[in-house]
Amino acid sequence: MNGMQDMPQGGGGMQMAQDLALLAPEIAVLLTAVGALVFEMLRLPKVSLPFTVIGLLVAAGLTVPLLGTETTVFSETFRVDALSEWAKLVLLPATVLCVVLSYPEVKDTDREGTVYVLFSMTALGALVLAGAGDVMFLVIGVLLSSVGSFPLVAYPRDDRATEAGMKYFVFGSVALAVMIFGITYWFGATGSTLISDLPRLSGAPLAAVFGLVAALVGLGYKASLVPFHFWAPDAYDGGPVSVAAFLSVVPKTGAIFAIAQIARDLPAGASGWPLAVAALAVLSMTYGNLAALVQENVVRLLAYSAIAQSGYFLLGVVAVGESGLAVSSLVVFAAAYAAMNIGAFAVVALAGRDLRDFAGLGRSRPAAGAAMVVFLISLVGIPPLGGFVGKFLLFGAAIDAGFAWLAIVGILNSVVSLAVYLRIVVSMYGRAKEAPVSPRPVAAVWVTALVFTVGVGLAAQVLLGRVA
Amino acid sequence: MFPVVSVTLFLPLLGALVLVFLPGLSARAAHLVGLVAAGLTLVASGVVWARGALGGGFSQVEEVPWIPSLGVAYRVGVDGISLPLVLLTTVLFFVALVFSLEITERARSYVALFLLLETASIGVFVALDAIVFYVFFEVTLVGMYFIIADWGYEGRQRAALTFFIYTLLGSLPLLLAILGLYLASQPNTFDMREYIADPPLTGLAAMLALVAMLVTFFVKTPVFPVHTWLPLAHTEAPTAGSVILAGVLLKMGTYGLVRFALQMTPDAFRAAAPYVAILAVFSALYGAFVALAQTDLKRLVAYTSVNHMGYVVLGVAVAAATTDASVAALALDGAVLQMVSHGVVTGVLFLLVGALQDRAHTREMGAFGGLLRAAPVLGWGFILAAFASLGLPALAHFPAEFQIFLGTLRVYPAGVLVVLGIVVTAGLYLRAIVTVFLGELPERWKGTKDLDARELLSIGPLLALTVLIGVAPFLVLGVVHETTRAMGLL
Repeated sequence: MNGMQDMPQGGGGMQMAQDLALLAPEIAVLLTAVGALVFEMLRLPKVSLPFTVIGLLVAAGLTVPLLGTETTVFSETFRVDALSEWAKLVLLPATVLCVVLSYPEVKDTDREGTVYVLFSMTALGALVLAGAGDVMFLVIGVLLSSVGSFPLVAYPRDDRATEAGMKYFVFGSVALAVMIFGITYWFGATGSTLISDLPRLSGAPLAAVFGLVAALVGLGYKASLVPFHFWAPDAYDGGPVSVAAFLSVVPKTGAIFAIAQIARDLPAGASGWPLAVAALAVLSMTYGNLAALVQENVVRLLAYSAIAQSGYFLLGVVAVGESGLAVSSLVVFAAAYAAMNIGAFAVVALAGRDLRDFAGLGRSRPAAGAAMVVFLISLVGIPPLGGFVGKFLLFGAAIDAGFAWLAIVGILNSVVSLAVYLRIVVSMYGRAKEAPVSPRPVAAVWVTALVFTVGVGLAAQVLLGRVA
Repeated sequence: MFPVVSVTLFLPLLGALVLVFLPGLSARAAHLVGLVAAGLTLVASGVVWARGALGGGFSQVEEVPWIPSLGVAYRVGVDGISLPLVLLTTVLFFVALVFSLEITERARSYVALFLLLETASIGVFVALDAIVFYVFFEVTLVGMYFIIADWGYEGRQRAALTFFIYTLLGSLPLLLAILGLYLASQPNTFDMREYIADPPLTGLAAMLALVAMLVTFFVKTPVFPVHTWLPLAHTEAPTAGSVILAGVLLKMGTYGLVRFALQMTPDAFRAAAPYVAILAVFSALYGAFVALAQTDLKRLVAYTSVNHMGYVVLGVAVAAATTDASVAALALDGAVLQMVSHGVVTGVLFLLVGALQDRAHTREMGAFGGLLRAAPVLGWGFILAAFASLGLPALAHFPAEFQIFLGTLRVYPAGVLVVLGIVVTAGLYLRAIVTVFLGELPERWKGTKDLDARELLSIGPLLALTVLIGVAPFLVLGVVHETTRAMGLL
């Protein structure tokens, strides 16, 4: 790789040790996955779960001292910056919540421990994406998070899950192939795989466009952006609810952050790139919300809603390099989105997948019902919740970057989304049914998610201060 | 200083939370919680009123920074325009809850929704931050939707949905206008006081923002031709819901007209004032004539709301158009007083029609006759309220409408055509009184009971207020005028 030659001379060993220290959180995630696998092979899945939880939390903890560092490791191929640090701080606890959420669904099945391993590996893929400084890391990130999540979707091994897993696999393989094919043009034109060398592309517009489109296909598939979203509703609905929660948050956020990492280094106004991203944003927001309007299955409804939320996410990406708010908006929205979306899925895990399962939930389980209302209105973006602050920052960043029209499309979409989420709320306060059983881990997940959904909203200023 | 405004704002919400988290409460206990919460809120708003609005500007301001770097904060306070409306809100909610004591079906949810709606309504009037305002504005929709959909009459589901969609779509333009104001303010802020002190938008942008605001507030008020949700929602809503809808929620439209359109885009409003005035005159006359054609008492009262709110819009348009500060203050005083009077008088009328319906299970005027003999208190109450509604001197609407017409005469002499509306309302109310309360008492209504204690307790205070405002309008106008004068409208 070209970057190698730029490596500071002398003290290579020291450099290596330093780089490894900066990568401590990622290494901790990898060790967690491997350790959990070992326990699974020893047929000790009950150890595998706490080991995964603690390992991931330790990895998140290891990130804290790194906050504020802006550097790269291993010859610029991986970035340790605000995006990648906050990706760890947000996505690792989010993964822990999903792991806990999955416990009632997978406990006492054979392969229970495997699920936790796959969660960790997929999360690692997302983290690699979020910090990618080299196109090879983009490929590895997409690959790692895909390979980890295919079996998660197919886990129940019934017809639906197998079909969903297959669809996801085929779609993912093609998207990844297109991505690898396209970004070789970048390498051909610049002679470097580093993302920071992308400005050299200004002399080769065709290669630049080819690579960009390909990168957007691969990452857009991971982020379930329209028109690369077809797999998402089936995959979410085929697998366990916890996997749907996980897929809708962790790999997605990783992929969005990866697009932001590319956006940083593009030559200004490169090949209409911001416009292309804006177009994806409009498509995703609008299609996601409209499709969600007619869903009768809450998991599919949330899947389409997650597509729409990816669209909002892209408003921050559009603003990267143009607005000082861009990175903070991405981070704050990621935190809010992780909390409210996992929270909403946790309540689905409690109530059931069908909209009819939600009938009377607000009466039979008032606390969980109230929490669901909070998650949903936070997804709409109503103050003072986290979703509002995150969206507000995204819209602000887009306006700051000269994309006021995009922000207006976003606001109009938010209003449409109110109708989407209110359908669940209305159903929840209809005629009461029997109270569904509430496993303790599920309750723990939605309570934690609730705290963060509200917390991100109220303490937004604190978070903003840390990110900036 | 003790944050009385915030206490007033959140006391009802506290009551609602108590109800939500005590699922085992009986209907009686739920009503008790509601009355205590609404009663304490009434007292707190009385304290806010007593503290007043010093110098006519925003007073008793309470501010908690939230995201300082983006100019978003929790900001509440009152001035002479919002103060009477806050008091009106707390009075009407208390009265509505007293009248609702008979509700036993899911009383806990019913009371909780009313309390939630009360917090949202007070919030709209005291908000000094555009985001806070918008949120409360939307929450009122949700509260009212459930009240109509769950406790209304036969066609309630459709009526509730129409109401919800209409007003939800209607409030979208306001959001865009707020966004425009935010982006144009330097530094960017959602502080409504900043927008008012130094209107950030000019030229075409201001005109677009004004049009957006007018759409939102006209739907809410409502003004012809976007009034069609109102008769439907009113006829299907439960009685107490109608009282709140007409008494409080409609005021948000005209309050927004003053607070946002008039104060934040004054120049654009001046340019648009003739058109707004024409629409207001037409709407007022239209409301009166359509009310004349009604045979259903509740629809009749609902359409007179379109008439009365038309006068308010006319008053605001006159205030926007004139270059004479004293005329502007006169018209605006009238408009604000008209909001209060309409809230009180229409409240009484809906309560009485509700009481009548509870007895007779019909609202068709033709079905009644001579009721004054069977239920004299109900009858005289209705006659008094009807006289107030048609603008008889010494009753609540007279001083308000008088000031509006006086202002109109100075600015748009032709606009005085609107006085015709008074003649029509006089006619329709007299007809209603004659057919329902005078003449022979048919056999089937012989046993009609008069108002009981619960109804008297809710209707009596409002009737007293009707007379009080009519006889001593300065009690309200003193506060209002201090602000309208200080606004320095030119």
